[in-house]
Amino acid sequence: MVNYLIRRLCLMVPTVLGITFMVFMLLALAPGGIGAGLAVSGGQMSDTSKAAQMQAYLEDRYGLNDPVVVQYLRWLGRISPVKFGERDLRTPIGDRVSAPREIVEPPMGWAFPVPPKPEVVFTPIVAASGGADQASEQIVEFKKLQREAEGARRAYIGSVRFFKDTLADYVREKGAPWTSRLEPKGGAEPDKFRDLEFGDPAKDANPKAAALKEAAADMHLKWAKAEETRQRALIAFRAKPYPESGIPIIPGVVSLDTPDLGVAFSKNRPVWDLIATALPVTLLINAIAFPISYLVAIPTGILASVRRGGWFDVGSGLAFLSLYSIPTVLAGVFAIGFLANKQYLGLFPVSGLHASGAESYTFLPYFDDAGTWHEGWLVDTLWHIALPILCLVYTSFAVLSKQTRAAMLENFNADYVRTAKAKGVSRKDVVMRHVFRNSLLPLITMFVGIFPAMLAGSVVIERIFTIPGMGSLILEAIDLRDREIILANTFMIACVNLLALLLADILYAVADPRVSYE
Amino acid sequence: MNNRFGIKDFVTILLLVVVLIAVLLSMVQKTRMELALEATRSKLGEIEQQSLQLQRIVEKGFAERPTVVVQPTGNAAGSSGGANAGASGAAVANDAWARPGVKIERWPMPTPASDPSKMPGFAVGGEFVELFEAQPAKLVPFISGDVYYTRVLERVCEPLATFDPKTLKLKGQLADAWQVDPDGLWVRAHINPRARFSDGSPVTSEDVRWTYVDYVLNPLIEAERTRSTMDNLKEVKVIDDLTVEFIFKEPLFTNAINALGLAILPKAYYARFEPTQVNQGTGLMMGSGPFRFERLPTGPDDLDSQWTPGQDVVLVRNEAYWAEKPSLAGMRFKSIKDDLGRLVAYRNGEGSMMLPTSPQFNSVLKEVPKEGEPRFEEVNYALKWVNMRCGYTFIAWQCGPRAGKESTPFADKRVRRAMTHLLDREKMIRDIWDGIGIVSKGPMNPESPASDPATKPLAFDPEKAKALLAEAGWKDRNGDGVLENENGDPFEFEYTYATGGEIAERLARFAKDSFAKAGIVMTTRPVDWSRYQEILKLRDFDAITLAWGNNAPESDPRQIWHSESTKEGGDNFIQWRSADGDALIEKGRRTMDEAERMQVWRELEALIAEEQPYTFVRVAPWLRFVKREFGNVNTYRTGLEPQEFFKTTSATAVPAPSGG
Repeated sequence: MVNYLIRRLCLMVPTVLGITFMVFMLLALAPGGIGAGLAVSGGQMSDTSKAAQMQAYLEDRYGLNDPVVVQYLRWLGRISPVKFGERDLRTPIGDRVSAPREIVEPPMGWAFPVPPKPEVVFTPIVAASGGADQASEQIVEFKKLQREAEGARRAYIGSVRFFKDTLADYVREKGAPWTSRLEPKGGAEPDKFRDLEFGDPAKDANPKAAALKEAAADMHLKWAKAEETRQRALIAFRAKPYPESGIPIIPGVVSLDTPDLGVAFSKNRPVWDLIATALPVTLLINAIAFPISYLVAIPTGILASVRRGGWFDVGSGLAFLSLYSIPTVLAGVFAIGFLANKQYLGLFPVSGLHASGAESYTFLPYFDDAGTWHEGWLVDTLWHIALPILCLVYTSFAVLSKQTRAAMLENFNADYVRTAKAKGVSRKDVVMRHVFRNSLLPLITMFVGIFPAMLAGSVVIERIFTIPGMGSLILEAIDLRDREIILANTFMIACVNLLALLLADILYAVADPRVSYE
Repeated sequence: MNNRFGIKDFVTILLLVVVLIAVLLSMVQKTRMELALEATRSKLGEIEQQSLQLQRIVEKGFAERPTVVVQPTGNAAGSSGGANAGASGAAVANDAWARPGVKIERWPMPTPASDPSKMPGFAVGGEFVELFEAQPAKLVPFISGDVYYTRVLERVCEPLATFDPKTLKLKGQLADAWQVDPDGLWVRAHINPRARFSDGSPVTSEDVRWTYVDYVLNPLIEAERTRSTMDNLKEVKVIDDLTVEFIFKEPLFTNAINALGLAILPKAYYARFEPTQVNQGTGLMMGSGPFRFERLPTGPDDLDSQWTPGQDVVLVRNEAYWAEKPSLAGMRFKSIKDDLGRLVAYRNGEGSMMLPTSPQFNSVLKEVPKEGEPRFEEVNYALKWVNMRCGYTFIAWQCGPRAGKESTPFADKRVRRAMTHLLDREKMIRDIWDGIGIVSKGPMNPESPASDPATKPLAFDPEKAKALLAEAGWKDRNGDGVLENENGDPFEFEYTYATGGEIAERLARFAKDSFAKAGIVMTTRPVDWSRYQEILKLRDFDAITLAWGNNAPESDPRQIWHSESTKEGGDNFIQWRSADGDALIEKGRRTMDEAERMQVWRELEALIAEEQPYTFVRVAPWLRFVKREFGNVNTYRTGLEPQEFFKTTSATAVPAPSGG
């Protein structure tokens, strides 16, 4: 058994990697690519947003320009608890600070020689001896350097963009056949013009030659500045203004750290924060909905199998199957339109989880001195989630009760049941102790499916009733192609799913002594 | 057999667990209540502090600023008179702050465009609940970007200047005076000495400088969206405590609005947080506006108390508001994503204002009420009007080569005009948008002075269209009902639209039918919205449908209409090149005089109407339902001004709606 468990757990690692890789690639291959939703976030475009600048910024910020595999590996590096290379620092507020990122060299070095990398000699403030005051001075200096480096980097990225635009203009002036090498969108990829000869701008007849040279010079200047400020920031970073994050295994090479789910593109918040606010909502609703569906469906299934062909069997089957065939969307709309609408019944609230001002309610309901009813936080919440839960459970009865019924019927015909009946075991004991226990296997299979479903939330119901749960979160993320949220979610659900399947296998062995993994 | 785990045991355990969870939750709730109590206490303390500060200002103020008349703020009937006194006080202020020789524009204390206290049924207090159609992801100035954030920001923060709701001209908000360089290279603004942030601290020139230089332009703050509109800003200089000067690289007409239109943030508050905390914040919004967040973190240790998505956004009246305080005690923004759910919630009384869909707007007004119940309009305002924030829907024609390859038939102006003549846009609005909307005639908002009432949209005229097409060489040469050019190529084009919307589908079908009648074959290409950006960037379409939003009376047309913007990064994705257009755009951008500039924009509008690079389809008016228990609900050219609303207590006094 232990061997089996270890083997299964080891197999999970490649499975999870495979799943995330697939999802990552699907996202990358989707039309528009990763982050396509960013530029037009929320389906809104406005003429004041300088789309190109924004794009260059986002590409640099999230590394969207790198090959997809590199991006995937980077994501894997973040999610992995085992880290390689330089350790991050951690600020007192728990933020991770990574070393300043590398800067790509200016393009077209063969035509416009790139000046040598600036050598930076710089002694940062170090707080080793100085105590609290100097520590804060060191942090202030580090922050200043960080900001300078980021500003210079941005300026450099802008200048590269400008250089490429100018190059495209230059090529356009040159005319065919050069123009055919331009990108379809009109930009120029410097690598495609390796054989282009640039003369002395004074002699070059091309009217854009001087502008191109100027753009290159400006780019080199900005690169030198960006590189210099980056190195300063790096030196200051290595002086460790904050404590290091994680536990070293081999100092400087391998360390252990908490997995980092990243920051959501579209919301600019840590993915973990988003999940931490959405998950409890979904869990609450599912934690109520699943027991209800089990407590209704399984007894019904048992009873239906005992009275096979009777009015209860037929009636419950008919009722559950009719419910099963009502689409949730329609049910939700009807629920809002009739049950929540004050023009009709108006029994339930329309949306959300709490009434306005529920934060200051008491927990339990009470009557005040004047005899007025105060519903309190508990009742208010239950009242709010009543409709979503109703929509969530009504479809689940059919499958569960039919499964139970079928499994029970199969066992009713078995020899041991006849034997039990023959030896005079009471009917109740035959049904509950013998048949039901032996019918558990298919139910276990269905039962473990709950765990991933608990986390996933229901997209349709959460949308109709405006519930800020996991379903809403993932739907929005898919709309905006927010890679970080989608990946984190997939990762989480994949892990839970695999663990649930393992749990199912263990439960089989517990429920059925014939099953063994030795 | 008896030691088996039976149903009874299961039920017992279940009950135990439920009881445990209930106990746990009630403990959590108790803590919550205590926190709420704590918050109330601290708010009380804050108010005490503020009243103390105010008292001190009143006591000391006269000595320090003899020219400023301090008036009691509040909602007493005479308060607008007090504001006028303040204005005349400011007028005698010395002008040492100003650059000599340049005209100073002065502004009185900001007052409501319509005084609520003079309305029948006026009362103070009450909460106004606005229903949002989606959940804003975050409410942090300049880091968020959606419309919901803007609606909250406009209540909480104030810029130096705003647009006058009636005239759409810039008027002073935080600034009581400013000078604009006649050559357009600088703007110098003087802050109203009475302006206070909601924590009672004065608004100073350092706050203004900090907001621009250390917040929006700070590369560590993710305000890229706003930052990219500021690339013409060279420097922000603090002249004295209340005077600030903006210096620009190029003389553009947008300089004044860029300098004066950004909400000013309190440096002392935001500087408490790390850049990452601001970037990842969800509800860090503080300013000098008439409302403030009910719960706002006091510092980095208190970040958990900020608003997070999923909760209602709750604003309360800023009791320390420096100008005339609003009558409402607070505002609440509630998100309900489902269209039907939103309407039901609104009618159930869970909301005071909502944005209906076009079919909802019509069907509710047609509804026959049950016996004894009032009609919808008797208890609600159903508002429909066009204002400066209305955008327009259009079909864009590819005037240049598609994706850098072959050119489309739409390179010819006559063809483009013919396409517009073929579309019966009145009927489209009737059939597709349930009759809600007006036919659009050009890129300028119809409410804006940049739009010339004399310019009319092209008429629906299939005959004229046929003539124009024939003139351009498109005739049915082989009698198959499809137009051909001289080479015998049939007139065929591809129409790109975004999937997922019923409106877009109907629009595509309507266009297809209309063009088919004239012998033009239109194929459709539905694509996901996330691909739009790429398609536009590659200029890879024959015709595409899209809508431009609007947020101000005039915007810089360069990004969309100048031939320079046909390059990558520009939004002239139709590659429309016009030397006249370029000249007009360049001229307009450098014309500082407003009246003169408007004339240029009108000429540009006429030119675009003549050239028809887009077929302008529809201007979408604003639709709103507002409960009639709220008074002073006016439809302005800027939209709505909820800080002017009041909640009436008398059941009979239902003020008449205005505008519409």
